[in-house]
Amino acid sequence: MQPENGDYVIIKIKDEEFEGILIPRPDIFKKGHLILKLATGYNIGIDEKKITKIEVIKKHEQKIPEKFEPKSAKGLPAVSILSFGGTISSKVDYRTGGTYADYTAEDFIKMMPELEKVANLRAEKVMGIMSEDMSPEDWGTMAQRIANELNKDEVHGVVVTQGTDTLHFSTAAMSFFLRNLNKPVVFTAAQRSIDRGSSDAYLNLLCSVQAAARFDGAAVVTCMHGTSSDNFCILNRGTKVRKMHTSRRDAFRPINEMPLAKVHGDGKIEILNHSYEKRSHRKVIVENSFEEKTGLLYVHPGMNPEILDFFSEKKYKGIVIAGTALGHVPTVNPKYSLYGKIKKLVDEKTIVVIATQTIYGRVHPFVYSNLRKLSIELGCIYAEDILPETAFVKLGWILGQTSNKDEVAKMMLTNYANEMNDRHDEESFLY
Amino acid sequence: METNYEQLGFRCGLEIHQQLEGKKLFCNCPTLNLDEKPNIWVERKLKAVAGETGEVDIAAEFEMSKKKKFFYESSSKDTCLIEYDEEPPRELNKHALETSLKVALLLNAEIVDEIQIMRKTVVDGSNVSGFQRTALVAMNGHIETSLGNVKIPTICLEEEAAQKLYERETVVAYRLDRLGIPLLEIATDSSIKNPEHAKEAASTIGMILRSVENVKRGIGTIRQDVNISIHHGERTEIKGFQDLRSIPKVIEFEVKRQLDAVKSGKKLSKEVRKAEPDFTTSFLRPIPGAARLYPETDVLPTKIDEKYVEGLRSRLPKLLSEKISEFKKKYGISKELAKELIENDNFENYADEFRNITPGQIANILISIPKEIKTRLNLDSSKLTGRDYSEVLSFLNEARIPKEAVIEILAKKIKGEKIELNEFKSISEAELEKEIRNVIEEKPNLNASAYMGIVMSKFRGKAEGKKVMEMINRALNK
Repeated sequence: MQPENGDYVIIKIKDEEFEGILIPRPDIFKKGHLILKLATGYNIGIDEKKITKIEVIKKHEQKIPEKFEPKSAKGLPAVSILSFGGTISSKVDYRTGGTYADYTAEDFIKMMPELEKVANLRAEKVMGIMSEDMSPEDWGTMAQRIANELNKDEVHGVVVTQGTDTLHFSTAAMSFFLRNLNKPVVFTAAQRSIDRGSSDAYLNLLCSVQAAARFDGAAVVTCMHGTSSDNFCILNRGTKVRKMHTSRRDAFRPINEMPLAKVHGDGKIEILNHSYEKRSHRKVIVENSFEEKTGLLYVHPGMNPEILDFFSEKKYKGIVIAGTALGHVPTVNPKYSLYGKIKKLVDEKTIVVIATQTIYGRVHPFVYSNLRKLSIELGCIYAEDILPETAFVKLGWILGQTSNKDEVAKMMLTNYANEMNDRHDEESFLY
Repeated sequence: METNYEQLGFRCGLEIHQQLEGKKLFCNCPTLNLDEKPNIWVERKLKAVAGETGEVDIAAEFEMSKKKKFFYESSSKDTCLIEYDEEPPRELNKHALETSLKVALLLNAEIVDEIQIMRKTVVDGSNVSGFQRTALVAMNGHIETSLGNVKIPTICLEEEAAQKLYERETVVAYRLDRLGIPLLEIATDSSIKNPEHAKEAASTIGMILRSVENVKRGIGTIRQDVNISIHHGERTEIKGFQDLRSIPKVIEFEVKRQLDAVKSGKKLSKEVRKAEPDFTTSFLRPIPGAARLYPETDVLPTKIDEKYVEGLRSRLPKLLSEKISEFKKKYGISKELAKELIENDNFENYADEFRNITPGQIANILISIPKEIKTRLNLDSSKLTGRDYSEVLSFLNEARIPKEAVIEILAKKIKGEKIELNEFKSISEAELEKEIRNVIEEKPNLNASAYMGIVMSKFRGKAEGKKVMEMINRALNK
């Protein structure tokens, strides 16, 4: 019998025997060792060169999961959970040793029966990908699926789960793609995978379902840990939120405004920022066209201006330049000045939007003379206090609808989803 | 009547946990237990999750049923985001690994070809992540004891758990400074024959551990768990022994508890129990099931090169037991003194350098005098450095001070006082006799010990007490 992963085997080497279950070796590990799970639960690696014989004692049997239907109770609000993958859906595959986005929205309910007491849930797995692989086309699908749920009269709100890395791109996209928004669309995720007891997913999911069922706003929001503690989550507006830490569970912070609300696991919602639209009964319209020739460029000292030639040659319709602080790019030293290349792009009818690398604060077109060169002479659009990532998504969305330069400029500075704030609360910095 | 443990079906095994020096196992925090004031506070919950087999572990379920909240606190001086489960682990600490391999070799074990880091589910909150990172580094070792070999089936390198501060109905609080300190877990098989044998095996393993550099010393750095069962009884795991001496008594009591239960037909269950100061045990929690380990996917496995192991094997430290008998023979000192001296890094150098004083004298100065300073003079002798000792030893070696002066000089050093060697010049016998006569004349009709007090207050460090007493008695009896 040929030994296969998952089989119970006896491995014989010169003067010893090891008994256990064969565990597959993840691709990223160097080859040459076999992984065996011993009766103690420990895995060890055995040098393949030493093995004289592998005897199969018992073949692996795959368990078939039982069919699952979430319970429903009269009087509870209805919430739809759509899953798109990411760490919140990840678990270790014991047959491959790797981590996969495998859990579905249904599994969340199975693992957290307490969710069924908060709302009548319907769950659907739309995709199972990690968020770095998510594309504007996926945002298009996402918008359609969310709108389908939002336009069902009985649904009170939608919870969307995906990976954290590009979560703020997705929420920005949904903020623009879903027009006439009528209910809360609550994005949640996890920084620790859901197969560990300490996963942040449990509180995040519970608070998200609470928010989708009970938050009175019609807004695309993130719902993640407010602090490192498992105390409460914060709702951040989809256009004004950013992942500000690689691994902390409170990585998602509001930028240039206060969070909309604090949400507690028991359903208590404390509003911190009242500037959002209320729920309504209108129908959501999906506007999900996105211009794929839209770029985002991070300026740095010593940058070769020829980098901008790529955007010219590939006929980009628009780029967002994340400039320094108030929105600068090098303009004086001929070796590094971007002025000429930006002028060329503008002349070729490419829209150039300026946002800031500082993340916090607002760009300003006139404070310094260098800024005036870009704003007045070249007509670059200064994107107020819009985050670079949000500006990129907004520009792609606008260019998907029109290529008229004046129209684009006008739309870029029109507030569609509270992506611009005309005043900044002192407390909001590093909240 | 002597208990026949074999007839009872006595089965007993040990798990020894030993902390290692250096940095933490998966981050660069120090392992000093600085006892700094906490400046970080975090509150968390844990959820029992399905293990590899898809079933929720019974120990996990038990803890969950208690619906606890966990409070964590620490100082940022010895904890970072990794202890708070806010950052993935860094790579396995190579120094800790090397120490564990040395111990494994001294325990005659075979090192695994490739070490795989596992996550062991722990839901009592003592690990913030909900699991303890652990790796099996060696197998099939043994130690020699007076009743034959005791097998060491597994040697694991793992993360130390957090320290519990208090527990209330719904809250358990932990301090995180200890979390992540490298910890060796050495498990024997269940062939230990009787309670005394358990103590002997624990003591031998402890001796082997202390033979290796980078193994922590002192209270709380080594812990022994004892697993016991008898015919018709159930396995219990006993934790929290105050010291090795209590092991036999606690085992006797536990065997009696199980025997009584068996006799009265009471049902026993697999339990983790705590050793109490009165040698009885109390219930802590059920023994966790087996399916509670899964791979740590954030850390790559470590391949152990055979040449590297051979290198370690050729440079293994001498066992303390060998060193003790060596000291005994070479320096002509008692076994007890030798035991204490092997912990002193400088003794051998001093014995070599200061040839005019005997090793016994040196041993006395290094071991007994600091104790006397503590008890008689109430000073903190741990403040004395190797330099202080070597200075005093060189004075003595060059006969610049009498041996009575050693304790006085060391005491002055602790107090930070200036040392004038002239002060400690021995006084001649004639001078001393004259002085004693003067004292007796000035204050007649006192008893010998009163005169002793007066004379010694004047000549402490210059004259030997025993001699002074003799001379006083002589003078009084004239």
